Amino acid sequence: MNKSIPHDSAIKHVSGESVYIDDMQTDSRLLFGRAVYSSMAHAKILSIDIAKAKALPGVHAVLLAADIPGANQMGPVVHDEPCLAEKEVICVGQAIVLIAAETPEIAYEAEKLIKIEYEALDSILDIRTAIEKDSFLAPPRQMKRGDAETELKKAKHLLKGEVETGAQEHWYLETQSCLCIPGEENEITAYSSTQHPSETQAIIAEVLGLPKNEIVVEVRRMGGAFGGKETQANWIAAWTALLCQATKRPVKIRLFRDDDQIMTGKRHPYLIRFEAGFDEEGKISAVKFEQFADGGCVTDLSMAILERAMLHADSSYYIPHMLVIGRACKTNLPSNTAFRGFGGPQGMAGMETILDRIARFLKKDSAEVRRINFYGMGENNITHYGQEVELNRLPLMYEQIIQSSDYFKRRKQVDEFNSKNEFYKKGLALTPVKFGISFTTSFLNQAGALVNIYKDGSVLVNHGGTEMGQGLNTKILQIAAAELGVSTQFLKVNATNTSKVPNTSATAASAGTDLNGMAVKNAIDILKTRIAGVIAEEFSKKHPNDKSLANDIQFANDMITDTKHPDRNIAFAEAMPLVHLNQVSLSAAGFYRTPDIGWDKATGWGKPFNYFAFGMCVSEVLVDTLTGFHKNLRTDILHDVGDSINPGLDIGQVEGGYIQGVGWCTTEEVKWNDKGHLLNHSPDTYKIPSVQDIPADFRTALLQSAPNPNAIRKSKAVAEPPLMLAFATWLAIKDAVSAVGNHETEPEFRLPATNEVILTSIEHLRNEIR
Amino acid sequence: MHQILSFVLDGKIQNITFSEHFSPTTTVLNYLRSGNEHRGVKEGCAEGDCGACTVVIAELDVNNKLSYQAWDSCLVFLPMIHGKQLITIENLKQVKDGQSILHPVQETMVSCNGSQCGYCTPGIVMSLFSLYKSEDKPSTLRIEDVLTGNLCRCTGYKPILEAAAKACVHGGKDQFNNEEAEIISMLLEIRKNTESLSVENKTQKYHQPLSKAEALKLRKQKPGAVLISGATDIALRVTKKHEHLSDVIDLSHVQEFKKSGGDVNTIYLGAGLSLEAVKTLVKQTLPALYETLVVFGSKQIRSLATLGGNLGSASPIGDTLPTLMAYDASVILESEEGVREINMNRFVLGYRKTELRSDELITGVHIPKHEPDKIVKFYKVSKRKDLDISTVSACFSLKLQGSTVKEIRMAYGGMAAVTKRVETAENFLTGKTWSREMVEQAMDLIGKEFTPISDARSGAAFRSMAAKNLLLKFWSETK
Repeated sequence: MNKSIPHDSAIKHVSGESVYIDDMQTDSRLLFGRAVYSSMAHAKILSIDIAKAKALPGVHAVLLAADIPGANQMGPVVHDEPCLAEKEVICVGQAIVLIAAETPEIAYEAEKLIKIEYEALDSILDIRTAIEKDSFLAPPRQMKRGDAETELKKAKHLLKGEVETGAQEHWYLETQSCLCIPGEENEITAYSSTQHPSETQAIIAEVLGLPKNEIVVEVRRMGGAFGGKETQANWIAAWTALLCQATKRPVKIRLFRDDDQIMTGKRHPYLIRFEAGFDEEGKISAVKFEQFADGGCVTDLSMAILERAMLHADSSYYIPHMLVIGRACKTNLPSNTAFRGFGGPQGMAGMETILDRIARFLKKDSAEVRRINFYGMGENNITHYGQEVELNRLPLMYEQIIQSSDYFKRRKQVDEFNSKNEFYKKGLALTPVKFGISFTTSFLNQAGALVNIYKDGSVLVNHGGTEMGQGLNTKILQIAAAELGVSTQFLKVNATNTSKVPNTSATAASAGTDLNGMAVKNAIDILKTRIAGVIAEEFSKKHPNDKSLANDIQFANDMITDTKHPDRNIAFAEAMPLVHLNQVSLSAAGFYRTPDIGWDKATGWGKPFNYFAFGMCVSEVLVDTLTGFHKNLRTDILHDVGDSINPGLDIGQVEGGYIQGVGWCTTEEVKWNDKGHLLNHSPDTYKIPSVQDIPADFRTALLQSAPNPNAIRKSKAVAEPPLMLAFATWLAIKDAVSAVGNHETEPEFRLPATNEVILTSIEHLRNEIR
Repeated sequence: MHQILSFVLDGKIQNITFSEHFSPTTTVLNYLRSGNEHRGVKEGCAEGDCGACTVVIAELDVNNKLSYQAWDSCLVFLPMIHGKQLITIENLKQVKDGQSILHPVQETMVSCNGSQCGYCTPGIVMSLFSLYKSEDKPSTLRIEDVLTGNLCRCTGYKPILEAAAKACVHGGKDQFNNEEAEIISMLLEIRKNTESLSVENKTQKYHQPLSKAEALKLRKQKPGAVLISGATDIALRVTKKHEHLSDVIDLSHVQEFKKSGGDVNTIYLGAGLSLEAVKTLVKQTLPALYETLVVFGSKQIRSLATLGGNLGSASPIGDTLPTLMAYDASVILESEEGVREINMNRFVLGYRKTELRSDELITGVHIPKHEPDKIVKFYKVSKRKDLDISTVSACFSLKLQGSTVKEIRMAYGGMAAVTKRVETAENFLTGKTWSREMVEQAMDLIGKEFTPISDARSGAAFRSMAAKNLLLKFWSETK
């Protein structure tokens, strides 16, 4: 426990032996599926001609919406998502026709033979147009504390502005994939690259018009997901299952990279308008936010994402009077969806922009302005939605990172460099992270497990979470080993399977280990109680006058021992046949629900989160003011994971999350043309960070001696929170740009800060100086 | 002429006859993944941008020793590996007496937490393996260069850099050393067949000439055939657009095109040289061309792509084109009728149109040797610094007499349908003082010269700003 063991698949990864869906061995009857999608952003479908495609040799099925036996509906929350478009298309990339063919090449050939006629309708392709045309997915949401409107008027200084954040493509290395194998009669086993096997199972069943007990969904591992396979995997699984049912043959769909980028949703772009009131010191008294998310063409998870954006509008700061209004716009783009942070990053970008602007306006150091606004200890520690910020690590982490990064000395060096150089400017920034852990839809905070011990002492652990690279199964392995007092070689974590653990929540909200780890612990506690009873009785047989008590039985070091009589012990593996002979079950289901959370969505008040995870980052960049290029010179990260279950994996999550955030903040630009066609649909034009883009000096540390009483083995969730560490780099770039105007003028800025954004902003500053 | 493709895989010579299963334009990636034995190699993008499909190719060098290079198998047509050893991720782990022994690069990838989701990992391991075999104790810069063509979305790369540094400390020694003699004899065995590979069936013709004479003859006979060498551009027509290439001439096995040399005044570079080979050759002699190639694609791409291919594709961005224009290079065009040399400034005629006649091949370039009093610099602006196509690129050459401009060349890529010099600004600056004031006036002329487009990479205004600023940058570094 609490040590860095390698990822449980690491050896398989490096040997090419880890099996992803596209690698699974199948028989020669396998068919390749393909979805033909809309080339129009918004149009009436006048006709679809599939006759020639159907007649092509090697084609086994061509399906339309009318061929769907169950419901042509697959919205996970709101039922506004048809599985296949029927009369109208509402975005480019929306599936209309499904093809199953003997080879992928034949499927492409068949696609070319399909003729779809459209009649174009007006389309809405961005947030501002949606606002103008009053196109929204749902009524506005609101969260408030105090009276922001009045307090803004009273404030010494008032700041008004807006900030835009861009979309982000998940760019998991493994594109969306599913393999369906038909069984007897109606049975289908779907091997799906999904973060949410239970929902994938439910949607397949609904689309096929079957009860859920006919469908098994299994997930061994995903080649990355990042939220992109929380609901988006359902599409591919439903299409594959439809083709499988129609042909009664195994069918596989693996999306081609460009199709994946074109068809699936991305991180929600946001437009955030703000007003902030503050005093001479930079202390904020009131803030009003209007957040507009681009939800895309259907609801998907947009309302939950909007909610989390609103819940993170405070970032790490105590704002006495706060009003947050959130709206999800309906546009003719593929429905935007979950992505690491789930709205949190967008919400925080608004507040961090305010802090940055206040510091520039007051000509104060921005870290200092942040510090005086942090949530307090024992006071000023209630969020704008009523939850207390317990075990606040912000002041401690600030103190530590200011010192370890040598912040103030480097601030001087940066200013000095800038005063001497015209064409290169440096920038430095510190930003915090406070991220709420739990699904904000409270009932989702539950998990199940099934732990089977076999007679040879080997243990098979099933749980509802899915492995997407984050190391969940490794942590589960460590938790199970520690709880059972055996070494990890006794244990194996099974592929996630809906027939083993049913009705699970998505592996999302960073809560995979928190929830599933607890459910596994619960199952093991049940088993230990049963085993202890049997073993105590066995021990007692030889000591009828001094019996062993079940309560004294301890599981440790691969042994089962009576702690009162340590000479009474038995090896774990040897004990299991005894338990079986005593007719006691060695299989137990475990369950967990997060206690003491509750949240009223209507009033926007309550305790949505089990606890908060914290982080802090100091980043320094160099900007070439003639080209807009920047270089990440040094980045220091301090991150809070409580008592780390596996520091090696946690640091991997922190560094990987930060770099993914840097991508969103810098080079990852998503653009659509005026017809709603995605321009950046392949890695040729969509640029995620490469090895050359990481900080030249990259220092990561985990906060020490900060146990978390609220989660498994005093640990904290990791996954999402580190993504937002990247704001330090984003604002360091802005600091460097601002230096061109000697920090006298507020530079134009947006997210991502591409070299185009940077250079354009610099040119405007230069023109102002001239 | 023969129809059988031969290469070494899994320690054996594999002979492939093209049939309904594999065509000559089947990629090595699809060939490997079509069976059950080599599914460790992954498709991440099918365009050479992510490196998940990286394999290592060992081939005989001039001394009949093996050299190891990482290639993106998604861009390689099967005949291109004729006579070479194909090494995949499955070949790295050994099993002895029932015990698995990881290769040093695998071992450190495990111990440094170098994998998370594992999908990019086989490709990364293969890139590290190519590094392991070619360089001991590499610098961080070298490691980064080798890994630029491998995208990882999970780790943030730091543990992979650590794994590389820790692994490459054994002088390249591993189990492959023990097998080298045997592999070399197999490759020499394949080479005994001196006939060229030639496939003709109902739907496709594919010829792989082995000599220049044969290549020129084929070119004359088949003016409409698609020419490939590294195929890094043409392969996309197959992998991304699902086009069927019905007639292909593959120049990758013509050794005469891979020569370099020159005389007192000029440097000669064969059109068939890989850009990685060119990069190594010109590091000292043509620093601006070297800098162009440092940020060209990735190691995997540069090891495949050739100089001739880059010139022949004549993209508006061009990459090597503006640099060769600034160096005043000329392109050598050959046909059965004879040889002619065209100055770079006259080689590109229009959007992807060149002087090349339908019976000619680009066989090389001549570049005047670098004059000590001339400064030549290359600049590239792209969204991501590495492995990204230029938004704008420029190469400038400057000769000063005191502080007066004696001669200046300014060649741009990405600003028009063709790579282009800005003669108005060149003429303006010639004879003027190399001062900020003059440069700023010349910048206005650059702005007037071009009306760039807006596209997926950037807006037109940014292109114009960057193009002008690059001259200022050049001035600031040479004043």
